[in-house]
Amino acid sequence: MSQTKTIEYDDQIVRMFMIASITFAVVGMSAGVLVASQLNFWQMNGKFLEWITFGLIRSEGLAELTFGRLRPLHTNAAIFAFVGNMMFAGIYYSTQRLCKTRLASDFLSWLHFWGWQLIIVAAAVSLPLGLTRGKEYAELIWPINIAVALIWVVFAINFFWTLAKRNEPTIYVAIWFYIATIVTVAMLYIVNHLSWPTGLLHSYPLFAGVQDALVQWWYGHNAVAFFLTTPILGIMYYFLPKAAERPVYSYRLSIVHFWALVFIYIWAGPHHLLNTALPEWVQGTGMLFSLMLWAPSWGGMLNGLLTLRGAWDKLRTDPVIKFLAAGVTFYGMSTFEGPLMSIRAVNALSHYTDWTIGHVHGGTLGWNGLMAAGMFYWLAPRLWNTKLYSPALANLHFWLAMVGILLYMGSMWAAGIGQGLMLNGLKENNTLLNYPNFLETLQSIQMMYLTRLIGGGSYLIGFFMLAYNIWMTARSGQPVNGTIEITEDENHAHAPAKMGLIEALCSVPILVMLVGVLVCSLWVFGTGLVQVLGLVLTVVVILGAVVHFEMSGGKWGKWYDTLAANPLPFTVLTFLAVAIGGSIQIIPTVTLAKDKNIEDRIQQVYTPLELAGRDLYIREGCYNCHSQMIRTMVPDVLRYGDYSRLGESIYDHPFQWGSKRTGPDLARTVGKYPDIWHLRHMENPRSTSPGSNMPNYPWLLHNKLETATLKARIDVQRKLGVPFAPMTAEQISQQVAEQGAGISASLRGAGAAVPPDREIVALIAYLQQLGKSIDLSEKAAGK
Amino acid sequence: MSKKTHKKTKVTLLEHSYDGIQEFDQHLPNWWLITFYGAMVFSVFYWFVFFQSNSEGVNNVPRLESELARIESAKLAGAIANLDNDMLWKMSRNAEVVASGKETYVANCASCHGPELKGGIGVNLVDDVWIHGPLAMDHYNLIKAGYAPKGMPTWGPILGDKKIAEVTAFILSHHAVPADPNGADHAHSQH
Repeated sequence: MSQTKTIEYDDQIVRMFMIASITFAVVGMSAGVLVASQLNFWQMNGKFLEWITFGLIRSEGLAELTFGRLRPLHTNAAIFAFVGNMMFAGIYYSTQRLCKTRLASDFLSWLHFWGWQLIIVAAAVSLPLGLTRGKEYAELIWPINIAVALIWVVFAINFFWTLAKRNEPTIYVAIWFYIATIVTVAMLYIVNHLSWPTGLLHSYPLFAGVQDALVQWWYGHNAVAFFLTTPILGIMYYFLPKAAERPVYSYRLSIVHFWALVFIYIWAGPHHLLNTALPEWVQGTGMLFSLMLWAPSWGGMLNGLLTLRGAWDKLRTDPVIKFLAAGVTFYGMSTFEGPLMSIRAVNALSHYTDWTIGHVHGGTLGWNGLMAAGMFYWLAPRLWNTKLYSPALANLHFWLAMVGILLYMGSMWAAGIGQGLMLNGLKENNTLLNYPNFLETLQSIQMMYLTRLIGGGSYLIGFFMLAYNIWMTARSGQPVNGTIEITEDENHAHAPAKMGLIEALCSVPILVMLVGVLVCSLWVFGTGLVQVLGLVLTVVVILGAVVHFEMSGGKWGKWYDTLAANPLPFTVLTFLAVAIGGSIQIIPTVTLAKDKNIEDRIQQVYTPLELAGRDLYIREGCYNCHSQMIRTMVPDVLRYGDYSRLGESIYDHPFQWGSKRTGPDLARTVGKYPDIWHLRHMENPRSTSPGSNMPNYPWLLHNKLETATLKARIDVQRKLGVPFAPMTAEQISQQVAEQGAGISASLRGAGAAVPPDREIVALIAYLQQLGKSIDLSEKAAGK
Repeated sequence: MSKKTHKKTKVTLLEHSYDGIQEFDQHLPNWWLITFYGAMVFSVFYWFVFFQSNSEGVNNVPRLESELARIESAKLAGAIANLDNDMLWKMSRNAEVVASGKETYVANCASCHGPELKGGIGVNLVDDVWIHGPLAMDHYNLIKAGYAPKGMPTWGPILGDKKIAEVTAFILSHHAVPADPNGADHAHSQH
């Protein structure tokens, strides 16, 4: 007896997420164009307000509009608001259909949507105000972090509940990628946002220095992997075969590249820290796993592009296919470029330059942006039961986007490689820098910056067209929800085998994998006999696995099909795959890289005024353009001084090694310039450094330094293990006043009257001690 | 999916469909597999060479240190024209200069002063006793001019200034840097 019932999908939530995504895409990309213009024209940091209001607003620079505060706004908006909302729209639309069921809870969907938008609004307000944690793509302050975690849990519950209610025996490859996304982002986000609050709006991260660097880039790199890549791959696996009306190229390629991707991706984070003070073996794993990641990434591209075989003619007629095909191609380009840039020698040239910026935008504009556009153009007519308002406009959007990306990436390659060669170039038998003046190298890429601005602008205009096109499409139709008829009886007939968690963990493929990782670790970390044993066992396990696989006659395949019908063990195994890499890299570093194990140089603990200055440095987002890490490379040492030691930032909560040098490195600023130089430079960088594109910071000269919470901040630092002397609030104020008076006097002596209680005084105190350390080896030798 | 039914032109189309999406089960392209396995083999090889073979100069820090020493020695070499006590002591802490000095020492000086610098025919060079003056420049000048009464040859014309400075640096590398390299009181001097 078969009973038929009709299920109505919740497509309203898809429409809402889609509209939110398009709205924030336009906002986030506009912010991107603005910050790009700031790199060409320093006046764009607030001075331009004088021009557009015809002098009504007088401003040498506006704090809320400076690059250091707006760049995080741009990145957060692009990642979490634009791609985040796009991902939720795609996941909710496809998951319902792939599971033949309505989303589990309308309330949770609603809560997810509005919670996420509230988070975005909170971010958009807090970041320009300078409320930040000082870590890239993890800038949001702790109350917002908690909200993100909670809403993510809401999303997870809604998603897995929907899976549980599914009317489809097995889960499709798109769902695998969604599972990996949900589990891994939760893990990354929570660990990298562990902080200790000092007040309602401020906190210090739990980790410091090298540990914080490693955790940050484990997060940062895998935010790219599991927020910008895996969900979009899942979306590709649904929307591309749908649009092409062709079967997916290869199921087994899906399996291999999915598991390879989630297992390998997580290891690659340290390639953001090559040639730094990070222990070299961790750097080595970062580089090698990045190289091994190349093929798994291309597996996704292949499955996308080869699915289009037999449908290529649609490129001429269907803008959706155009966008999706180009998006997948850019995915392939970026995932080739990434491993290339992870090679230590290439990274020595590319790191800290605009090449990285170009690479990232190949991924975001090319992969995320085009995939989003393709999906939106496919969805809109279906969600509003009509035709796309203007395919011609969509085609124009495509070409504007394409030209925009190529201008963007081309100019950033030229700028990055060009400036990199200038900065690393040596002469006179490799003993002198070719271009000792940093500004000269910055000047040389101004034209490239302008080209990038034009490219980004072109891409933005294209997205405005998309917004208009979708808007007109929606207006021409009526919102409709998809439906499906399912026959209840049919499911029981096809009920797949059940697999419990224990059963899954004890199966041969998983045991082989776990034992393999174990013996491989013996080989990698062991010494002497253990190492040899590890190597021998690794070979034995691999050979054993191959033999078992061949002999068991398709058992592994059947096992996997059963696994794909049981989301719980599938999810647990996915978590296991992503947890291994991070654990092996992070746990030894977090336990060993501590102050008591440092032997050469150790950081000097900040004075209260210096700590206050450091918090200003973080507030203004200086790390967006300045590194504090002199790499183990001759040109770095010749330009900035002795290479940075691991111990020299061991107390920095958060670390400020940076990832881009739009300006020079600051790790050894101590005593380089007199106090007055810093004052003049912060007030107007061009007065001391002609041609600089740094914003003016006039407010630092006027704002009174906030010292009321300094006691709370120092107390938290003490709790986190920084050896501050115990101080009362009075002692702190007294120390701040004394050191401030000294700097104020030195400024007065040089002709600038600045009271000791201004922010600039604290910032100068901080800058003037950057690089001060205690040499433990000399101390030990002295004894 | 194990339900492989349609067998056309060697390509398997899996029976199942998800919301109308079907899947082929094509074999993995060979070039793709080679790329994947190749990267793994390379990684094993690289790991062994860089992290387990203990070969010197492959890792960043030792390589950087030796390169910096080379640069410094090149700069020091250019400064021999106006050599002074500070310069010699500085050279004595530069690995590259000391290594060249050692080479010269072994070839020319070790026969009398001993391979360990502890003396023999010539005087001991690792104690604190300096017969001809305690300053770095005293040693340099003595090597250059020689001391005929005790059989110390005049090395100036044979070795040249650069090599003599290097040998001096090599000898000084066995001594601690004095607080004041120009002061006379940091070592005993006997006449």
